[in-house]
Amino acid sequence: MTDKGGWFDKFVDSLPDRGWFKFLSKYVVVPYWGWWDPKLKLTGGPRPTPQPSENLQRMMNLIMPLKDPSPVGRAKAALAIAQNVDEIFDGLDNVGTVHTARFLLLDNNICMISVYDGDFSNYIRDFIVTIGSSFDDVISLVEGADHLIPTTQNVERFIDWVHDHDLFQAPDFSTDLFALQDEARILHDEEKGIVTKTPEHDLRSLPRELILQFRANPNISLGGGYRAYPGFSAAQVRNKMGVGW
Amino acid sequence: MNTAAENDAAKIESRDFLITNVQGNILRGYKLGMVRYLFLEVADTPADRARARAFLGTAAAKGSATVPVITRESNTKWDTKPDSCFNIGITYEGLKALGTPPEHLASFPTEFIEGMARRAMKLGDFGDSAPAKWPAPFDQPKRVHVIASIYADDVGKLNAVTAQVTPHFTTLLGQRDGKGLDGDKVHFGYRDSISQPRFREVRELDKIAKSKAADEQSKQAEEKPQPWDPLGTALLGHESRYEGVRFGVPTPEVLGLDGTFNAFRILEQDTAGFEKYLTEQAEWLKRQLKDNPKIQLLLAPGDEGRIGTGPDWTWTKAMREIIAAQMCGRWRNGVPYETSPDTPLPDPPNERVSLTNFDYSRTSRCPAGSHIRRCNPRGGPIVQRIANYTRRLVRRGMPYEITPDPANPDKKERGLLGNFIGASIGAQFEAVMCDWLNLGLHDPNVTGTNDPLIGANSIETSWFDLMLPDGSAIRLRELPRFVITRGGAYAFLPSLRAIEWLSKLRT
Repeated sequence: MTDKGGWFDKFVDSLPDRGWFKFLSKYVVVPYWGWWDPKLKLTGGPRPTPQPSENLQRMMNLIMPLKDPSPVGRAKAALAIAQNVDEIFDGLDNVGTVHTARFLLLDNNICMISVYDGDFSNYIRDFIVTIGSSFDDVISLVEGADHLIPTTQNVERFIDWVHDHDLFQAPDFSTDLFALQDEARILHDEEKGIVTKTPEHDLRSLPRELILQFRANPNISLGGGYRAYPGFSAAQVRNKMGVGW
Repeated sequence: MNTAAENDAAKIESRDFLITNVQGNILRGYKLGMVRYLFLEVADTPADRARARAFLGTAAAKGSATVPVITRESNTKWDTKPDSCFNIGITYEGLKALGTPPEHLASFPTEFIEGMARRAMKLGDFGDSAPAKWPAPFDQPKRVHVIASIYADDVGKLNAVTAQVTPHFTTLLGQRDGKGLDGDKVHFGYRDSISQPRFREVRELDKIAKSKAADEQSKQAEEKPQPWDPLGTALLGHESRYEGVRFGVPTPEVLGLDGTFNAFRILEQDTAGFEKYLTEQAEWLKRQLKDNPKIQLLLAPGDEGRIGTGPDWTWTKAMREIIAAQMCGRWRNGVPYETSPDTPLPDPPNERVSLTNFDYSRTSRCPAGSHIRRCNPRGGPIVQRIANYTRRLVRRGMPYEITPDPANPDKKERGLLGNFIGASIGAQFEAVMCDWLNLGLHDPNVTGTNDPLIGANSIETSWFDLMLPDGSAIRLRELPRFVITRGGAYAFLPSLRAIEWLSKLRT
């Protein structure tokens, strides 16, 4: 079996660089494809794994749309962070499992980017329990989150909401995308009483699957990211540094 | 202006708590010697739904000749132990099958909706423990709708209640029987069910005449430094251990209030493998004695008498017990390693050693990786500084299959039928399973390791640090997995009013 395609394969491979096809794909091919083979928006955050070391230093990319993305609205968001940042960072310190956390204003969103250890739900729960009232000021500026305030009285719903607004993390092995999309489809259909079998996949269809996932999920974290000291928790680093945990 | 959530909270806060609205197997154990779990299905037909609902309505009221009454929590002392007790748990699929409207189904927490099988990776249920390998009925988790539990002291009573229950459901998918072992022990030989959450609301309600040992345990519970647990640890609609936090109560209020969640688990224990590992490691330590004299800090040759009395207590046999005690955090007779690290036999022999009155510190002799310290780090130092006492679980477990005869070992499956009860599966059961039992995130010295007794260990990579009195450690490697999950489900344990509400559904 050769890895050099025939003339037709070469032609198809060249399509994404051809101007007429770019136009056609944007307005016809991909929308039609997406309609014909719809992909579910894959859920955010890292996935649980059996390997303990992979459950450390996990990434959260929380993208929260601003109610008011105008310069005034953005200024309000910046002020809300500035007024509460000490409490929020103290709270993260008490959670004990957080390596880094920061806030960004990006386009029409306020983003919280952090690296934490262990289970996502435990991280968010402990965070909200510690500084929920301070974080409510931030959440009050976010679109579609009023029902979560006060967050301390809506912990479970808040965890689900954060999970939903955390960026999907593309798998480090790109072929894992097949299994993730299949699993999501099977579970989705199961809820509707439909039995769906796991389909067989042609490796060559991977780019198409990726394009369709991008259509459902425009913002994606590309892989799990780089770690200078993989497999160490925040507390282990602090312990080694002698700063207490 | 108050938000809807604040109004709901105020409404819940203002109501009177009626303890008799709570099923009787939540806040206290029955102390009956046997249990039977029935796994029941309600088919998707109006007739099957109606039959199951009618059963629930009668069972929640007074029962009948053909329907056992659901045992409820009591507001008075029980003078005599009942012949049998009966309780029910309902899975998410079960609530659906009974006709609970979608808007109320959606008000349940995500982990309950998804069910135990879908949360497998978080719980360490992979490899041989994976749901794909679970035997019936948990190989088809969506068919398990009701988990009925019957408690009694003899099989005749279990059979009688079983005969009452099963005709009201479409299919009896399966059943599991458990029986208490002598001395409240589990198959690994440890005395179990010692430390449980304590609730002021049930303090004075000792419903059955206690045995002397149980009475002693109760006295100790009074003096232990662990704080009282708020009702919200075990019941929905009450303040939780987290200050100002109440876990979400499913709607309508009558369905959610005073209910709770149960993680039901069938856990197979490799008793032969466990004993073999103890022997292998004790023999390995014996071979290391010359090269590593520090081992003598744990047990010097000739000092075996402080572990067990009699001529058969060799150094290896005694060291096996030290390893077992450090792995659990208790000696097999229940004595805490923290308060009695040198011996399971306190001297003088009649001195009462509290099984519960102790705490951990940065200089604890009990390893941070031990089982009981992972499950409940008490007030000791943990990484998640705000999480002390917040992940407490009510544990109701009973072994299945008899204790193996050491002279004639068999290969029968044996283990534990466990119920891990709490108002939030996510904040309690899953939080403990995921971050503490299977990651060791509570202490940087054990982070990356699993629980030595029930963790998802792998012989290639797993280890356990045996703690020496001087604070150093000896690493025991090639730690295998001793407990395999053989099935389980998340069930809602509704209040009596909620069961009545479910019985009146007409959809």
